[in-house]
Amino acid sequence: MKYRLYGIVVLLFFLAWRTLDGLVEGDWGRLEGGLSNLSVFFSESMWPPNWSVLEARSYPVCEQDIEFFCSVGYLGMMETLKIAFVSTILGFIGAIFFSSLAARNLMPLSIALPARVFLSAVRSLPSLIWAILFVIVIGFGPLSGVLAMTFYTIGYLGKLQYEVFEGMPNDPLEAGRAMGLGRSSILLNIVIPENSNHLLSQLMFMFEYNVRHGTVIGIVGAGGIGYYISTYLKFLQYDKVLALLILIFIVVVVIDLLSMAVRSFVNEEGDVRKPTWLMLLKNFGI
Amino acid sequence: MSDDAILSLNGLVIGYNEPLCKPITLEVRPGEIIAILGSSGIGKTTLVRTIAGLVRPLEGDFDLHVERRGGLGYIPQRLGLVRHATVAHNVSLGARLNIPWSRTMFKERKERTYDAIRTLGIEEKASEPVRRLSGGQQRRVATARTLAQRPQLMLADEFLGELDQHNVDIVLGAVQGLVSKGTAVIMVEHHEDNAKEFATRVWEIKDKCFYDMSIEEWEIHSLKGEEE
Repeated sequence: MKYRLYGIVVLLFFLAWRTLDGLVEGDWGRLEGGLSNLSVFFSESMWPPNWSVLEARSYPVCEQDIEFFCSVGYLGMMETLKIAFVSTILGFIGAIFFSSLAARNLMPLSIALPARVFLSAVRSLPSLIWAILFVIVIGFGPLSGVLAMTFYTIGYLGKLQYEVFEGMPNDPLEAGRAMGLGRSSILLNIVIPENSNHLLSQLMFMFEYNVRHGTVIGIVGAGGIGYYISTYLKFLQYDKVLALLILIFIVVVVIDLLSMAVRSFVNEEGDVRKPTWLMLLKNFGI
Repeated sequence: MSDDAILSLNGLVIGYNEPLCKPITLEVRPGEIIAILGSSGIGKTTLVRTIAGLVRPLEGDFDLHVERRGGLGYIPQRLGLVRHATVAHNVSLGARLNIPWSRTMFKERKERTYDAIRTLGIEEKASEPVRRLSGGQQRRVATARTLAQRPQLMLADEFLGELDQHNVDIVLGAVQGLVSKGTAVIMVEHHEDNAKEFATRVWEIKDKCFYDMSIEEWEIHSLKGEEE
């Protein structure tokens, strides 16, 4: 059985390799010198990162005691975090509603199927396209970003959630139904608590995803740190772009640590030993 | 059907694709304790699941004269507990069912939950998630949930398994309290001793035949079987 699985993985790898070869039409020469180009670009244009992005902007005048709070890095990151937070929470609540309609063990097929079609339709547009649509409809700014990422979150989390719901053990649902609990009561008191570990993990993953994608949708004018990255790219200030990318990386790592801490309250690992902040930082080698 | 029956089976044929036994016609009255006996895979669980409304009968039907919401208590074989939720949350699922909407509803629900928890002797575990509890403790939580629910008919599928005699006595004592208030109990049981001690009636499924006997009739029947 184990060797058959290895065989399948090797077969899939060769299939992927052949497909890639077809895509580049056998012209592998393009890769030649790619690494040296990257190293020249990185050493000459990006390195060292320009940390002036963490200093106060020249305009408007900074009224804060600490200069950092008026910096491009702080203001852009905070806006991205706010957009990601609001859209993750709104999207999560919307996704719970639609995924409970789409789960086959909670709803009849006549309701589950249209709900799945809706989630597929919402998910089929990437958050960037949603952002462009909302920028056209309501104009530039964070509201377009919030709406774009909320819609994408509903589509993406909705699918993950209904798959988790469908994979849960059947006996708590059957007990609830036999006892006479209503659908909403079963959802709120059985399905959500039983899957709390997965749901929290998905919530934190989606928040992290939205922070990362907040940078991309900012480029089309939907607010956040992406707006500044887009501006620096236009003016070829790659060292400032690198500084902002490092900032995003740090925030993503912090969210990952938070995710571990939050999930420890509901998973079985937490029964044995609750992770301390020190332990989490040590795990990440910080 | 007599007026006081809370459950009547009318030519009920149970099974998934093929009938597991001949049509069953009988009635259950308040305060009765029925033990379903039979070897593994004979159809005991299917019968209980059919009465719980989770499996469609192949033929015939049944009338359940209990409140639609909360009138039926059910402890499945795998207990049906929410593993990641606390003991108190699980027990409160039963308590929330039969309390009418009022200003004191939440207070009453909490009282009923903790009464059931105390009766089953698991008050120290009330705020712990169920997944941390032993198999025997989880069975007590499932019983407490039904106790807090105060149903008119209780269905239990092997709910005394994994319990030592001390805990069997606690659980049966709690269920006896429900029975004294008029609840009828139908339980799938593997241990004939528990059935003898507790049940007033026995349903036995054997060789695709269904037998409905009083406990005395069943004792004589099983003695005869041993002699043969």
